[in-house]
Amino acid sequence: MMRKLFLIALILALVSVSAVGAQDEAQYAGLDMDLSGITIKMANIGGGQYEVMYDAISVFEEATGATVEIVALLDGFSMDQKLKVDFATGAADYDVAWDHTSFVAQYTPFLLPLQDYFSEDELAAFSPAILDAATIDGDLYLIPRHADISPIHYRKDLYEDDAIAAAFMDATGEELTVPTTLEQIDQQARFFVENGHSTLGYTLAGKEEALTGRFYEMHFASGGSLFDENYEPAFNDEIGVAVAELLAGWYVDGVIPSDTTSLLWDGVAQYFCNNDVAIKLEWYGWYAYFQDTDSCAVAGNFGLARGFTGLSIGGDAVRPSGWAGAHAFSVPATAPNPQAGVQLIKFLSSERVAYEEALLGFLPTRSDVWDRVIADASDAENPLDRERLELARVQVGEDFKTPPLIAEWIPFSNIFYPHLQAVILGDVSAQDGLDAAAAETREMMADAGYY
Amino acid sequence: MIGRRKNADDGAAPKRVIQFSRIDAGAFPFLLIFPAVLVILLVIAFPLLYSLYVSFTPYELLKPNSLNFTAARALRNYEKLLNDDIFWRSLWNTIVFLAVTVNLSYLLSLALSQLLARVTFGQSLLRTLLMVPMMFAPILVGMQFRWFFNANVGLVNNFLISVGILQEQGQIAWLVDVPLGMITIIIASIWMNIPVMTIILLAGVLSLPSETFEAAEVDGASGWQKFRFITFPLLAPFSYIALTIMSLDIARAFDIVRIMTDGGPARRTEMLWTYITRLAIEDTKFGLGSAMSWITVSLSVLFTLYFFRQLVKARIVQ
Amino acid sequence: MITRSVGPNRHRNDIIWNVVAWAILSMLALPAFWIIMTAFRPNIEINTFPPVWIPKRLTLEAFANMFGLNPDVQQRVAVEAYLRNSLLASGISTVIAVSLGTLAGYAFARFRFRFHTSLFLGIMLSRAVPGVALSLPLFLLFNRVGLVNNVLGLALVYVAANIPFTAWLMDGFFRQIPQELTESAYIDGCGYWSAFWRIELPLSLPGLATAAIFAFLAAWNEFQIVSVLARNNAAKTFPPGLFAFTEQFTVDWRGMAAMSVIMMAPAVIFVVLVQRNLVSGLTFGAVKG
Repeated sequence: MMRKLFLIALILALVSVSAVGAQDEAQYAGLDMDLSGITIKMANIGGGQYEVMYDAISVFEEATGATVEIVALLDGFSMDQKLKVDFATGAADYDVAWDHTSFVAQYTPFLLPLQDYFSEDELAAFSPAILDAATIDGDLYLIPRHADISPIHYRKDLYEDDAIAAAFMDATGEELTVPTTLEQIDQQARFFVENGHSTLGYTLAGKEEALTGRFYEMHFASGGSLFDENYEPAFNDEIGVAVAELLAGWYVDGVIPSDTTSLLWDGVAQYFCNNDVAIKLEWYGWYAYFQDTDSCAVAGNFGLARGFTGLSIGGDAVRPSGWAGAHAFSVPATAPNPQAGVQLIKFLSSERVAYEEALLGFLPTRSDVWDRVIADASDAENPLDRERLELARVQVGEDFKTPPLIAEWIPFSNIFYPHLQAVILGDVSAQDGLDAAAAETREMMADAGYY
Repeated sequence: MIGRRKNADDGAAPKRVIQFSRIDAGAFPFLLIFPAVLVILLVIAFPLLYSLYVSFTPYELLKPNSLNFTAARALRNYEKLLNDDIFWRSLWNTIVFLAVTVNLSYLLSLALSQLLARVTFGQSLLRTLLMVPMMFAPILVGMQFRWFFNANVGLVNNFLISVGILQEQGQIAWLVDVPLGMITIIIASIWMNIPVMTIILLAGVLSLPSETFEAAEVDGASGWQKFRFITFPLLAPFSYIALTIMSLDIARAFDIVRIMTDGGPARRTEMLWTYITRLAIEDTKFGLGSAMSWITVSLSVLFTLYFFRQLVKARIVQ
Repeated sequence: MITRSVGPNRHRNDIIWNVVAWAILSMLALPAFWIIMTAFRPNIEINTFPPVWIPKRLTLEAFANMFGLNPDVQQRVAVEAYLRNSLLASGISTVIAVSLGTLAGYAFARFRFRFHTSLFLGIMLSRAVPGVALSLPLFLLFNRVGLVNNVLGLALVYVAANIPFTAWLMDGFFRQIPQELTESAYIDGCGYWSAFWRIELPLSLPGLATAAIFAFLAAWNEFQIVSVLARNNAAKTFPPGLFAFTEQFTVDWRGMAAMSVIMMAPAVIFVVLVQRNLVSGLTFGAVKG
């Protein structure tokens, strides 16, 4: 046993030293404990694109003698509901649970702090920005699996056409370049739509947390903040109103789809896939889908750029967009075998498994895996494959911003997004809609004991 | 021929209620009823009472300590709801939805039953077709219709483009615009309600005594007059059965709303059910959600009670 | 049946009625055709523009994927588990609900006793309680007695939910049976129970079948309660199982359609087999006071 442990430690050390070379195989971790006879239960996110991880589990079972039982496979939001109910009733009898940086704050009373189970070296492999986002009051509650963040996706044909560029110059007196600011996006998206170059100028998910998040992103990129330091709602400031008015204007002018408010991620992606959208923010996770010539007309016809900076109304506080999140693993406080659960997490977040997942297009959260995938992509057929990864590494490293880490994020979102929808659809003015949302939010936060 | 016409046999005999002279059998009937009542008490009444208690507390699912009752703030949840614009809005939407759905389902089923009574070709297959919507789980109805009415890839818009009514995709945002959102949900619900209602009304139509119609024809009554003054009144008991079954089942429409619009956008189609789910499950405010559940339960009970009284009355009149 | 005088005018009208009826009912059935077509068409034809109305070829891929016959697809939905749970929860609850509901319905139809009306109304109104109002307290209570995420717990709820309708239907049915039959049975020395068991129950079998179908389908299609009470595949039935096709980003429409087809099978069988019974059971039993 000791020898095996020593060997693994040695290999790990070698790997981390020589990671840049990346010639050697990525290594598993968490196999250094005898777990014979133990059944580890896991509740996790499901779906075809997560297969690789479940395949790897048999390696873990063989090496440790443990049996891994998947007790739930759900999409993120269903899992969130399940966890809430299970935690509240003490029914969370599993050792590993799905977690997400956007949700972790509400679970913390029911999760096991993990910092004592992981060595500093083990934690050093992960992106510090994500671990920061997962550390609440000094306790680390999750180990990240993979991250996602949104770059600008734009249709190349619109930016490579001299006639369109000349027309744009005539109309606006400016060069047509890939946008870097929200104001440029506004100008170009409107131009493309008004002149019939593109059916739609922009798209965004228009309901639930997806809409709240996209607003939050435009708002903080424009220098705003949803809440002030006393957790008073602050999104109805002039920045918030400007962002909401921008969206409402897009809706009434047909820059965004007429059914925006019923779109979730798959709906917005469908529009871009059909080559109907000029510019948009979209998660990196969609890349393989968009590049699939069988399913998407936009395949081969789009480029990526770093997230936009917000409206200039924010002055110096303007920053790049980068609403981000990371899927992750946690151990419930009620886990029957927490140590075994930790071992499974170490394995599932190991360089090898993370690397195999990254090959599917997920953005890694480990620096060693970043090195590997970028090296792998250096001779890819499509240069965008590598550019994408380099861009993503910059964004995850520098622009990564989670929603406010409050347990009330989803209740807040449920209050907020219908009001924003009403603004977008023109039912109320931006100021009135956001004021109403702020008043309700304040009441909810007061009930939760913030003031 | 499906509807048996026992009553028609007594032809012109005045129709009175044939009240059954029930037997006095001491404790025996209570023994028969006891198991049913026990299950209902355990699984429905007791949980409801528990939720009544919860509705007087500030209980939040993720805060186990918040399940405590204090007289001072017992009515806080109800107070909150009565001052909550969204609650009133969802109540209004629910009433509009129910009123339109129930009435239109009834009218369409009535028309359809008249039509089907005249069909001579392929009756059996036609009735199987009529029952197709019965085969769908409500949640499946919601998924199908959401897909049909999708603005971008939905069948309805695609069809309208194919026949040249629309020029491009996404032109009509069925699930978004006022009042299209409400209308699409209502269409889906009506579609689901039609089979059972039509079957009952059709059986009613087929059991009507033909002598009455012949007499009316002799008197020179028009088709509409025959319907208005003979068919419709004689169908009353069937109508109330259909409406009662529907009022008992109306909560199934919740699945449809939840899948199709989930109360959105901008709460345009928010109903009591979607609002409860949002408050209680997503926001984990069990106390507030329970208070609203109780208001909803009271309304449902009143609604059903109304139809029941009508049903009893109609039976007596017959 | 409405009698018609025969003549050329009538004949033309008949044709019109037939055509109109067929047209309307075909439209009504359209969603079912579409769902079946979606389940059998190649994936690439789904959600495309311009739309593909008629599939170019038919394929069983979606079903193969679902039942694990396709070696390329490893992660798949637990359709066997949904089927098992659906059958157990619906089957058990139907048997018990129909038994208890029939007993209660018989009592209401035959006997005079105190609280007759209020008991009847009370039972009926329990059906009017929306599932969403019931699911939350049920979850909290079931959690204490280990019935959460348990098919038997689910069946218990469905029993309670289906008793009222059964009792109502059977009440009407038993009242339809000529009283003289029962009375002669008593004269022959039958007790209350054997009169019920030997004489009246067999006569009410069509009503029983109707009640059973409604109870079964109600349980089979129920979503609000199972979505709260079932936490994983140990207790999930088909309706929450449909969401297994919704992944984080995408929806597998074809897979969902394929499972829907399987899910609708019992309903189709019932409707086709007992169509006649269903109609007479619903009305014959319920109307004539």
